[in-house]
Amino acid sequence: MTGQSDIAVPRRRGSMGRRLGAGYLFVAPNLAAVAVFMLFPLGFSLYMSFQKWDLFTPPEFVGLQNFRTLFTADPLFLIALRNTVVFTVGTVAPTVLISLVVAGVLNRQVKGIGIFRTIVFLPLAVSAVVMAVVWQFVFNTDNGLLNIMLGWVGIGPIPWLIEPHWAMFSLCVVSVWKSVPFATVVLLAAMQGIPGELYEAARIDGAGEVRRFFSITVPLLRGALMFVVVISIINAFQAFDLVYVLTGGNGGPETATYVLGIMLFQNAFGFLQFGYASALAWLMFAILLTLTAVQLLLARRSRLED
Amino acid sequence: MFDTPIGRRTLLRGAGVLGAAALVPGQQGCAADDDALTFFFAANPEEADARMLVVDAFRRRHPDIKVRTLLSGPNPMQQVSTFCAGGKCPDVMMAWEFSYAGLADRGVLLDLGGLLAHDPVFAAQLRADSIASLYDTFTYNDGQYAFPEQWSGNFLFYNTRLFAEAGVRPPPGRWEQPWSFGEFLDTAKALTKRDRSGRVSQWGFVDTWVGSYSAGLFGMNNGVPWSTPRMNPTHLNFGNPAFIEGVQFYADLATRHKVAPTASETQSMSTMDLFSAGRAAMALGGHWRYQTFDRAAGLDFDVTVLPTGPRATRARSNIGSTGLAIAAGSRRRQQAWEFVKFAAGPEGQAVIGRSGLFVPVLRSAIDSTGFAEAHRRIGHLAVLTGGPANSEGLPITPSWEKVNALMDRNFGPVLRGSRPAASLANGFSHEVDEVLRNP
Repeated sequence: MTGQSDIAVPRRRGSMGRRLGAGYLFVAPNLAAVAVFMLFPLGFSLYMSFQKWDLFTPPEFVGLQNFRTLFTADPLFLIALRNTVVFTVGTVAPTVLISLVVAGVLNRQVKGIGIFRTIVFLPLAVSAVVMAVVWQFVFNTDNGLLNIMLGWVGIGPIPWLIEPHWAMFSLCVVSVWKSVPFATVVLLAAMQGIPGELYEAARIDGAGEVRRFFSITVPLLRGALMFVVVISIINAFQAFDLVYVLTGGNGGPETATYVLGIMLFQNAFGFLQFGYASALAWLMFAILLTLTAVQLLLARRSRLED
Repeated sequence: MFDTPIGRRTLLRGAGVLGAAALVPGQQGCAADDDALTFFFAANPEEADARMLVVDAFRRRHPDIKVRTLLSGPNPMQQVSTFCAGGKCPDVMMAWEFSYAGLADRGVLLDLGGLLAHDPVFAAQLRADSIASLYDTFTYNDGQYAFPEQWSGNFLFYNTRLFAEAGVRPPPGRWEQPWSFGEFLDTAKALTKRDRSGRVSQWGFVDTWVGSYSAGLFGMNNGVPWSTPRMNPTHLNFGNPAFIEGVQFYADLATRHKVAPTASETQSMSTMDLFSAGRAAMALGGHWRYQTFDRAAGLDFDVTVLPTGPRATRARSNIGSTGLAIAAGSRRRQQAWEFVKFAAGPEGQAVIGRSGLFVPVLRSAIDSTGFAEAHRRIGHLAVLTGGPANSEGLPITPSWEKVNALMDRNFGPVLRGSRPAASLANGFSHEVDEVLRNP
């Protein structure tokens, strides 16, 4: 027996080693992709954030100059930050509320729910650029669908994308429309994991539908809600494609939709200030990291209190 | 199957072979496998077809030089920057008066002075045949970074049938015969028609260029250049009262006099389509619109000069020239030089003139019968042939992209009528000067 096991161990080890090697080989392409397309750009952009670089001439080390300029000498940074915060709040709050309601509705067992679900999830399958182009037609001042419908109830044409104060509102509308399906998928999956007995017991105790929703569904969805909020904030904070197509590469009209994503793109590819744009990218990363950490901390504290 | 070493190895080998097989044709497609000269240009669909005439003429003249054309996407500057930064700079590229200085400043463009010095016959011929202000457009920091290829300054197209039906006198046909802002406004008013509900069915004037730039042209036609000097200015005249007056006149056309559509009113139908469809009597634009209007069914049009404000003595267009440049890192410099010489020299310019594609920049081609033949439907040919010599340059600075972003932001409210043009003299004008001084 002993002899057998002595022989068996190195064999197993050899087999384990081969398995491990094969495993590494299989993940190697993915690891290489992560290294080349994620880790290297990340490291390179951090390096660039301390340089002055225009793509063509050799980079010049400027220390913290790019960050100093952002905080002290570029009035557009504060405008972009303010717009991004407005856009994030204007997107995340309605997205969470609407997706909660929609998931609640989709969670019911009613006839034809499949069709309804398909319609609700449709925006998830459409590219942001296509979506923005379609919404451009919808927001057309003279012949847009929205203004035509408003005209039926006696409301005059609204310059959705022309006037600065309407442009940000329009952007938030499209962003909410785009974000709701994903949030709904997550919340619906979480809702379906809630045991039916809880609802049954609440119903026997006389709780109505609304009461059951707010007293059972919402508290038990806390984890999923937190996930949706974090992901939505990250997405909204990095908004670019939607804004670029809908209101242009300058974040117009005036500075109404000049968000951080547009500022980053404009500095990098318009002004060829890649060092400055990299500094901005890392600042955005720092803000998002802080926000996410605070959210997770609050969530953990709330769980512990329970 | 994965537990057996042979199967796994076979699988990995197979994957390796498949991967390599997939990569080989891909690499061939991406690599600069052929020795063709690459030519990068931007053009609308109508222009792109006609532009190939010049390329084909060059191929016939130099059958030994292969040319591969690269048509630009919506933002040529971004595209060419990306190409060049990635080490794939096109050998010959179109250069725009606004943006070439940024590339020249960064060493992307070759100073053609050296090649000119080795080709004194061509240099002398080019100098003698050129219009100085156009040639000098691409002379930056003592270097010659491109040769002008076309004049694309702005003027007015007008619908002759709508003028005749309304009994309005045709506008002038030469740059030496100015018409005033007042006369222009009266004409636009007479040609703006409304239906019973008050909706405009025919506009007196539409702008097919960029609103903020066109407004600047009206400022310039009130006697104030955009900048003095033109090259590397440290101050733009956006705050000059006469310039502001011209900008305000332009903005008022849409917001006060209602003879031109506002930004909202052109969301559903482009200004170009409005003119092509006979729903606008006058359209501001350059010769790059000619092909489109020429092909529009049932459109009878002619051209006229831009109106002149009370403080100006003569009508001016903008130089608006594009040129041809050679990449500093080009490995096919001699072939590129032959291409640029051909397209910007008398031979290529004659082809351009005959094609009706552009307004050429050499006198021999502008005054040629070929150019006149290609524009037979134009009565006021002198507006085109006299355009290059009656143009004023817009500022040339490596910081133009930043100035452009500021203009877009600050002209918007003026053109919408929510702020007077006088507001440009405040923060905006100083911001522009700051950008020019500290790029």
